[in-house]
Amino acid sequence: MDSEFLIQNYQTGTALFDEMQFDRQIRLPYQKLVETIRNHSIDDLQLKHKLAGELFMNQGITFTVYSDDAGIERIFPFDILPRIITAAEWAHIEKGIQQRLKALNLFLKDIYHEQQILKDKIIPAELIASCPHYLREIAGINVPHDIYVHISGIDLIRGEDGTFYILEDNLRTPSGVSYMLENREVTKRLFPDLLSQANVRMVHNYPLLLHNNLRALSPRPVSNPTVVLLTPGVYNSAYYEHTFLARQMGIELVEGRDLLIDNHKVYMKTTAGLQQVDVIYRRIDDEFMDPLLFRPDSILGIPGIIGAYRKGTVALANAVGNGVADDKAVYAYVPAMIKYYLNEEPILPNVPTYQMSNEDERKYVFENMHKMVVKRTNQSGGYGMLMGNTASDEEISKFKHAIEKTPREFIAQPIIKLSTVPCFIDDQLKPRHVDLRPYALCGPDGVQIVPGGLTRVALKEGSLVVNSSQGGGSKDTWVID
Amino acid sequence: MLSRVADSMFWMNRYIERAEGLLRVLLTNYVLSLDKGPYGVHSWKPVLELFGNLSAEEINQIEYSSTDTLKYLVINRNNHNSLRSLINKARENARGMQDHITKEVWEEVNQLYHTVNHPGLEKKLSGADALPTIGNLLKQCLTYVGVTDTTMPRGMGWDFMNIGRYIERGVLTSDITFKQFQQINFDLDDEKDILFWRNLLLSLSGYELHMKYYSSNATNSNVLHQAVFNQYFPRSVVYSLERMEKYLMNVLDENDPPQKQMMLREFGRIHSRVKYADETSIKQVTLQYFLQESKQDMLKFSHVLGQQFFSYA
Repeated sequence: MDSEFLIQNYQTGTALFDEMQFDRQIRLPYQKLVETIRNHSIDDLQLKHKLAGELFMNQGITFTVYSDDAGIERIFPFDILPRIITAAEWAHIEKGIQQRLKALNLFLKDIYHEQQILKDKIIPAELIASCPHYLREIAGINVPHDIYVHISGIDLIRGEDGTFYILEDNLRTPSGVSYMLENREVTKRLFPDLLSQANVRMVHNYPLLLHNNLRALSPRPVSNPTVVLLTPGVYNSAYYEHTFLARQMGIELVEGRDLLIDNHKVYMKTTAGLQQVDVIYRRIDDEFMDPLLFRPDSILGIPGIIGAYRKGTVALANAVGNGVADDKAVYAYVPAMIKYYLNEEPILPNVPTYQMSNEDERKYVFENMHKMVVKRTNQSGGYGMLMGNTASDEEISKFKHAIEKTPREFIAQPIIKLSTVPCFIDDQLKPRHVDLRPYALCGPDGVQIVPGGLTRVALKEGSLVVNSSQGGGSKDTWVID
Repeated sequence: MLSRVADSMFWMNRYIERAEGLLRVLLTNYVLSLDKGPYGVHSWKPVLELFGNLSAEEINQIEYSSTDTLKYLVINRNNHNSLRSLINKARENARGMQDHITKEVWEEVNQLYHTVNHPGLEKKLSGADALPTIGNLLKQCLTYVGVTDTTMPRGMGWDFMNIGRYIERGVLTSDITFKQFQQINFDLDDEKDILFWRNLLLSLSGYELHMKYYSSNATNSNVLHQAVFNQYFPRSVVYSLERMEKYLMNVLDENDPPQKQMMLREFGRIHSRVKYADETSIKQVTLQYFLQESKQDMLKFSHVLGQQFFSYA
């Protein structure tokens, strides 16, 4: 069996948008990749697949699943074939995300200060009042450069006609950027020739861009501010990423117990005494940050840190309270925000979203449950969601019941068949659904997005859920010129 | 350097040093247990007392069974000093400061961890597999020492790692020496031949040095000299203290804490008590007291060090 057979046998779904193939023809940007596949035997590809797994394992790029006290370490599945995005597509995505983040930043500033958008009735006040992530405690706090969303991972999907949609805004502690970077490093070893010929834009300057932005936030006018990365600790599933980023930026990786507050300033405890901390890139959720204000049982946080934040002696990235802007119910209003704050039309559209607290919309959704995906507004990672097309009647009635009880906690969207890309699975090329998470950084100089991002793949046949907790994997993502 | 990181550096090395010590004792005793020596049937009692927390009765039950003893000392989770517990704790420390140790060191600790937690290990602790298994584990610990030495950057982290290693080594040597002398009631004049001391000397990997270095017949005194005072013997108490002093000076210079003078005095006192002792002065306070005190001194100093540099929780 040679690899020509693989390509001939690549069967895409009829009503789906496949990124590589259209009408049995290979799309232009994928032609070099297909050429490379032709030049390799299936055994070669198998070897590359195995090598990739070993590279991830040996470097300890694993997440730990704990059962009893024996930790089992698994790798995040990686598909060896890259997903390709053209320069034109990328320019469109880039503009759309820049626009969206600009609006979201303005919204966060507004909502924690004047609340003009509520007064002008663009967004219903009760929607914000009922949002668990809106934190009254931090209203009125001024943040450096008025930037709230320093680091974001906005999820995009591509529908049946190839249009890019925004699926969700992750503005709190988005993860996965280390996989974007490591995936590229692994591809460099798997397909060195192809990579150098294909004019792929580089992603590896992400940690440097992030480091520069973080340094620029320092409230103290010193030439070398102390920037730290705050992690919940070794048991966090993203701990690898925390050590990776700290290493890449050359900053200290701290836990809550390494820090203390004295006279509204943050210090870290070093062998040479206390050292003042200026900027904290925190990977701890809001509710665990400060036991004095939020969850009193949190041992991950630092008592009094929000007091220091209010005084402006320390900068936090991302800002506290961003959850109000990526709440799945508030998401539906982002196009309105763009019009309101920027007086522009949204470049990247939302997926149509039905508010379950709206009676008419709820009725419509209940009548069309099989075409809908229902999501909880306060959950992510593929948890707490119902895919109407595959759910049993029992599951559906359970969800309907839950929705009627607390309608604010749910939204519904029509199921969009995500675009597919070829994956090397069981020695064949098989189409699998993907999304795209580009990583955007907001600094004083504007929004920068490294060209690429994390392409997440639903490895199960037919599945539309790409989250790693639900059997998802990832691919290297190329933006080519 | 973060106090927590310094603490982890110190303890990662301490735990692995203890693991290495344990393994060498196990290897020596296992080999000796196969022979019927001039001093009766081999008992694991002293080793079980050193590295376990069993009651006298429980020790009586397994002291003549090499397999049961090995299982208890290598893989038992309830024993805080079993090899598995030690390596797990070392890795726990390494995990929390991965950004401060080299990739090579992390991989070595990781590999040790996977070896001692392998479900197949229990079966390999009896019969013909036991000896090569213990030998292989010991080799992995030694590889760790080599990898840290060739890849870790010098500086504060390295200094704390080494203080941990040499405190542990000094304590271990006094402990093992104590156990052996206990069997002859700490009587330095009671002449035992080299066969009696083989266990101790091999456990400290100092048998060959002993044969080369000492020629007089006063074997008891010679063994004590080697274990405590011999500056050429890398496991002697005095050698451990000398190394500690070097790294302690670095750490004090780099951090310059207000308690620097106090710590220097405290360490100087401990160091000179061993360095300037001789057999006569030891006999005055009894050997038992001398060995116990040296160990207590080092443990106390470890505590002072912790208060000064590691208090973060």
